[in-house]
Amino acid sequence: MSDATLSGAATGPGPTDAVSVFERHRAELRASKRVWNIIFLAAFLVCLALSIYVSRFYPDRLAEGVPRIFEYFGTILPSLEWDVLFEGRDASGRAVPGSLTFWYTDFWDYIELLWETILMAITATLIGTAVAFVMSFPAAANLAPNSWVYWFSRRFLEICRGIPEILLALVFVFAIGIGPLAGVLAIAIHSAGALGKLFAEVNENASNRPIEGIAAVGGNWPEKMIYGVAPQVMPNFFSYAMLRFEINVRASSIIGFVGAGGIGAELNRVISFYSDDRVLAVLILVVLMVTVIDLISEDIRHRFIGKENF
Amino acid sequence: MQMASITTVDTDQVDAARAAHPGAFRTAWDEVKKWAPWVIAIVYVIGSLIYFDIGRLFDASERALRLLRAMFVWQDMDTWQYANIYTGIAQTLAMAFLGTLLGTIGSLMVGFLAAKNVMPFRVVRQIVRRFLDILRGIDQLVWGLVFVRAVGLGPLAGVLAIFISDLGTLSKLYSESIENIDRKQVEGVRATGAGPLAVIRYGYLPQVLPVFISQSLYFWESNTRSATILGIVGAGGIGMILIERFRAQLYDQVFFVVLNVLVLIFIIDWLSKRIRLWAIGEKSH
Amino acid sequence: MGTRSMLKLEKLTRRFGDNVAVNAANIEIPDGQMVGIIGKSGAGKSTLLRLLNRLIDPSEGQILFGEEDIAQLKGKDLRKWRSDCAMIFQQFNLVGRLDVVTNVLTGRLYDLPAWRSMAQIFTPRERAFAVQALDRLGMAHTAMQRAETLSGGQQQRVAIARALAQEPKILLADEPIASLDPMNAKIVMDALRDINRNDGITVICNLHTLDTARNYCDRIIGMRDGKIVFDGTPNLLTTAMAREIYGADHEFDEASTSTSLGGPAPVQPIRETA
Repeated sequence: MSDATLSGAATGPGPTDAVSVFERHRAELRASKRVWNIIFLAAFLVCLALSIYVSRFYPDRLAEGVPRIFEYFGTILPSLEWDVLFEGRDASGRAVPGSLTFWYTDFWDYIELLWETILMAITATLIGTAVAFVMSFPAAANLAPNSWVYWFSRRFLEICRGIPEILLALVFVFAIGIGPLAGVLAIAIHSAGALGKLFAEVNENASNRPIEGIAAVGGNWPEKMIYGVAPQVMPNFFSYAMLRFEINVRASSIIGFVGAGGIGAELNRVISFYSDDRVLAVLILVVLMVTVIDLISEDIRHRFIGKENF
Repeated sequence: MQMASITTVDTDQVDAARAAHPGAFRTAWDEVKKWAPWVIAIVYVIGSLIYFDIGRLFDASERALRLLRAMFVWQDMDTWQYANIYTGIAQTLAMAFLGTLLGTIGSLMVGFLAAKNVMPFRVVRQIVRRFLDILRGIDQLVWGLVFVRAVGLGPLAGVLAIFISDLGTLSKLYSESIENIDRKQVEGVRATGAGPLAVIRYGYLPQVLPVFISQSLYFWESNTRSATILGIVGAGGIGMILIERFRAQLYDQVFFVVLNVLVLIFIIDWLSKRIRLWAIGEKSH
Repeated sequence: MGTRSMLKLEKLTRRFGDNVAVNAANIEIPDGQMVGIIGKSGAGKSTLLRLLNRLIDPSEGQILFGEEDIAQLKGKDLRKWRSDCAMIFQQFNLVGRLDVVTNVLTGRLYDLPAWRSMAQIFTPRERAFAVQALDRLGMAHTAMQRAETLSGGQQQRVAIARALAQEPKILLADEPIASLDPMNAKIVMDALRDINRNDGITVICNLHTLDTARNYCDRIIGMRDGKIVFDGTPNLLTTAMAREIYGADHEFDEASTSTSLGGPAPVQPIRETA
């Protein structure tokens, strides 16, 4: 076996049998790593200690808080009783305590708000996608007509993406008042930034040949984009937009926390002011809505991609 | 035959071509199918915007102007309680750090429970997965609100909110990467007679740990971002200061805080990218 | 070595759905023999070895080692058996991200208390043992490297060192050279024969090439469609027999299953088969 000779550490002092050579080599490697390991560990521990101190995450507070969490979850459970579970309202329009009807007294109000939430998400996704589509061409390094346009488009998208939706919503609620419009605008702006960046990356991976083809027949910049690039990237754009829609449904369900429409306002209200089964009633509906939308969207994406592959 | 100019193509020729190659010409129905989605989308957007009362946008100029002015005209800057602001920022960072750390530790255990190749009992796996689905189905901000109700205002609620929502998402990602590992390496360890824990320690962990680290770093970054807004529901951090001053109509201070948040997010993005590069770069050779 | 025991398979059967991968195999392997199992791919060779190590469970039949029925072992006893019955694989099955010496040390995991295995703490004695095993295969100089940085041939030698670290009574080798070039294949086969001859460890080796089996093994077992169709010394294996094992037609010749290993001179069987 030709490579049986021991390289490297074999030239060092001491015995040259395989075990001693290995132990020396191991000790050297460990010594060289030890410094870094200690630095890393120390940095980590300092961060940990500071974090615990700053957020007052002390064991006593935790020991005090954790039981209260379970207590809280206990209070939001509905007290359903099997024998009256499916009882409707009685003659005077009152629901029987312990029945589903009683638990979900405001069911149709919730449904209306969920419906508004979904509409908000759709509108915001469509607007965001449209803006992202337009911006994605100048923001793609290979397609931008010049570096100035590229630089400004990129910064524009970064700002749109950088500001959290809920902050934007806060500002819009102040400027145009409480209601879903503020939420739609906030989510649309954030979507435009997030999708614009993804779209631009898709564009950067597009083949250059169709673009040259359009250029060769005398097409101008918009024509190159529409006939050369767009057909290549549309399927990807579509999947990204659908994924964004799923994210936006979640966003629009909470954006009401600051008064920007949808189920969020109700969610905020029931959690903040009540500590009873209403909290769970709304939460269950929101989780159901998000899950159902995810499933539908996934189905559409798969169908669409399946069709594209033919 | 000499090619005619496009100007000399008359309707007869068009009809002849259509008869010869019907596929090349769209029928009216094809045209409808092509344009309908776009028309529907545009009509829907316009319709919904009207339904959402778009008109208000044009009445908003006065308040929008106040906001805009606050962006540039900063008053009484010596009374701004900067210590308060920067404590809030420190709190935000701490919440994200602790929340991600706890979430990572939790997911290390739960992730294995939800992975098909480690957890042979289907029932346990399904229960764990459904539980994670619920954790994920509820937004971090909602968790924040719930924990504020449970443990009171302050960063503890924020840490718990980040922990719970990370547990849902990270465990799922972890279990997916556990399911995608190279089974041969595990088999090699199993064949030596190693016990189940040792198989996880030597067969699975070396393969998945780098993936886990990079996913957790990514979450740390995104949690720092979301921790800035958790305070809006009272769960500690800079968001709390933001909303307080917003309610007090101190818009210039709000704008200053937002600028700080943006800088913070930018720094965290950059730092996380560096750490990931360093961690993965070091791991890969 | 411990007590000398014979490995005895009785009607060992494994089904996957309707497919019978190993069909009522009856084999007796005395201690210290080097056995080659040959056959086409899909003949059940790999399943047979996995059954022996109990990486998969038999559907029927017994695996007797001495007085013990290996097929019934569970839990700790099963792991004890695995540690006695080392296995090397076609794809080496090393943990790529661990360094070579830790890979070899995984061979000691059965004996390690849980807290030491979790904390990855090995004694100097264990490390020395692992390095000696590596040194025997000429791989000690790579001990601190990651296993994934090694070539295929080197990885297989590390895998053999891991098997040696188990101090096994039996060494199973599942197509150990199928992924290697001829030179590395020779190194690996020579190492296996050396372990068999010098340490007296029983070696059972799946091979897809006839000439390697002829050159290295005391005894050849031919499998076809899950059944054992040949069991005897290499010189009993006629071309006609080989043709039946491989299910080939009249054009079959031994060169078509050859890795053209230069190989040592054919080894004379040291013990007659039962």
